[in-house]
Amino acid sequence: MLEIKNLHAVVEEDRTEILKGVNLTVKKGEIHAIMGPNGSGKSTLSKVVAGHHEYEVTEGEILFEGEDILELDPDERAHLGVFLAFQYPVEVPGVTNKILLRESYNTIAASRGREEMDPLEFEDYMDDMLELVEMKKEFLDRPVNTGFSGGEKKRNEIFQMAVLNPKLSFLDETDSGLDIDALRIVAGGINKIHTADDAIVMVTHYQRMLDYIEPDIVHVMMHGRIVKTGGKDLALKLEEKGYDWLESISKENGEVK
Amino acid sequence: MSITAKSEESILHRLAAETRADGEAFRTLRNTSRKELAERRFPTPRDEDWRFLDLKPISRGGFHPLDQVSVPELPSLEAHYIPESMHSRLVFVNGVYQESLSATDGVPDSVVIGSLAQHHEHPMVEKWLNQLAIYPKDPFTSFNGSVLEDGGFVYIPKGVRIEAPIHVLNLYTEADKPYFAAPRLLFVAEEGARATVVEEHNGLGENAYLTVPVSEFKVHGGAHIHHVRIQRDSMQAVHVSRPATYIEKKGEYHSYTITFGGKLTRNEPLVVQEDEEVDFTLDGLVLIDGEQISDTHSVMDHRFSHGQSHQLHKVVVKGAAHSIFNGKIFVRKDAQKIDSFQENRNLLLSREGLVNTKPQLEIFADDVLCSHGATIGQLDPEHVFYLQSRGMTEQKAKEVLTYAFALETIENVNVESVHKLLVEEVKRYTSTELTQEMMA
Repeated sequence: MLEIKNLHAVVEEDRTEILKGVNLTVKKGEIHAIMGPNGSGKSTLSKVVAGHHEYEVTEGEILFEGEDILELDPDERAHLGVFLAFQYPVEVPGVTNKILLRESYNTIAASRGREEMDPLEFEDYMDDMLELVEMKKEFLDRPVNTGFSGGEKKRNEIFQMAVLNPKLSFLDETDSGLDIDALRIVAGGINKIHTADDAIVMVTHYQRMLDYIEPDIVHVMMHGRIVKTGGKDLALKLEEKGYDWLESISKENGEVK
Repeated sequence: MSITAKSEESILHRLAAETRADGEAFRTLRNTSRKELAERRFPTPRDEDWRFLDLKPISRGGFHPLDQVSVPELPSLEAHYIPESMHSRLVFVNGVYQESLSATDGVPDSVVIGSLAQHHEHPMVEKWLNQLAIYPKDPFTSFNGSVLEDGGFVYIPKGVRIEAPIHVLNLYTEADKPYFAAPRLLFVAEEGARATVVEEHNGLGENAYLTVPVSEFKVHGGAHIHHVRIQRDSMQAVHVSRPATYIEKKGEYHSYTITFGGKLTRNEPLVVQEDEEVDFTLDGLVLIDGEQISDTHSVMDHRFSHGQSHQLHKVVVKGAAHSIFNGKIFVRKDAQKIDSFQENRNLLLSREGLVNTKPQLEIFADDVLCSHGATIGQLDPEHVFYLQSRGMTEQKAKEVLTYAFALETIENVNVESVHKLLVEEVKRYTSTELTQEMMA
């Protein structure tokens, strides 16, 4: 579904290189976790996949379902089925959740050849999705993220993911700012949304999210590269030993074999 | 150089001299104002308070008194009426009160509402007219007084609530030549009175005119007044307004000024805290484009202790438009426990646009809480990216965010049809591309 080959990216403004040759392959039905210390480039990777203008890809490629998406705008990538759950969701006063989502859903549906829904159908559909993340109906009529608590914003991201039903979702630090109950609910929602037809990439600093969502593959990212890939036991090992364990090897070899 | 300055100095004086104002009422006021006007110099950009502002549209506007121009027959005005105010409406055409178009049977009998001239002997008119719009050195207030024959008058006695909003509708017609208008409004709310006023200035065509509205609001103890001011002048119009408000003990005055129109707008709201425990708002929203210039110079004057004030002035600049903001807050000596908030937020959406901003605190008391600030910025790329990642085009994302930025002020407008109208106007300003549902 997603193939990232030797991806290099710089911050457009000051040309600082953040991604220094990332390789990543995600197949349909898989759940990946990308772990790494702060500043390792894992959030940047999610933004670059979603098409953020702040970064410029200087080398390498991103193939989504075999198609090179580097030249596509973020909205065009969303139309293909790429979704990013933001680490810091943006407040949009004046536009309600319901209206944003119906607009998004219909635009994306149209470009993916799905039927658009009329407002009543959409209302029913959203009710089901709300249950997945245990959100109250009144959230629909509130302006997007405006006045939401940190936890509510994160939950709202997963609700949007449920409604838009993307093929590939990057979840950027979805667990941060969530208390343990909220984390359980959000993780439960993600597990219910996930099917054999889509893929999820969780980007996280801590292991605790992985207690609730079991990844098939765990990657460790450091200094702009994926330095180690393994099964879910890799996450546990990291939790136990800390990132320092990989630090020395990564610096020497660029990649941990 | 000096020749130009001289001709600019005399422009308002000349216009006043050309105007035949001979009504019996306000003769003394006119004479006083004319003397005052003769002594008051027409401002130039060399005056600190008139920096950045090019006044040539006034000095070279070629304006005439109304009796020297011919105006077409009035079109149907239904579209300008507010459903909530069908029986509480004062209409002015080119600054002149229109009894036949006004409707005032929806207000309680004890309320006095209508023509200022008809009530010129009312004790409140004698007491307050021209006593509140105190703008030292300002020739525009003197000009308004120099040509004053009539205006609007509202008097709400003690404890009376007016449920229906009072619609003060100023319309400016087309004409064969540029003309000037000088609307006047006196509003007196006695102790505990409650009312909402919707003041509008609408251009009916795309012609040039100069309007110099002066309004005076006296809010007595415990009275609550909500004042919505909407300016949708012709894009060739020059609008120089002087709304002055004085608030007594425990009085509340909340005003929201929304500016869309006008080639050049200079708005100088003045709010004075005249006693303790006063609460007031002076919010503004300016949406300009093309070559429009909008200048707000406000004064919030806390003269007594225990006062609260709030000023959020939001501006969106497109095209080669130019916004100027200068907000003065005075906290006088011994006016303690004042809580004052002021912020000017500017969204600059074009390279050619220009913003000048100067929040200004002058505090002479020591136990006060005052915050002020100004920002000039573009849309946050992170916000645009967020909406794009949800499938919106970049263009649409920007429009949605501009709309969201503008909406905050409008949310406080408590008259449903007016709120709706403003939302429509904001939509029109932000784009024509947005779907209806997006902005519901």
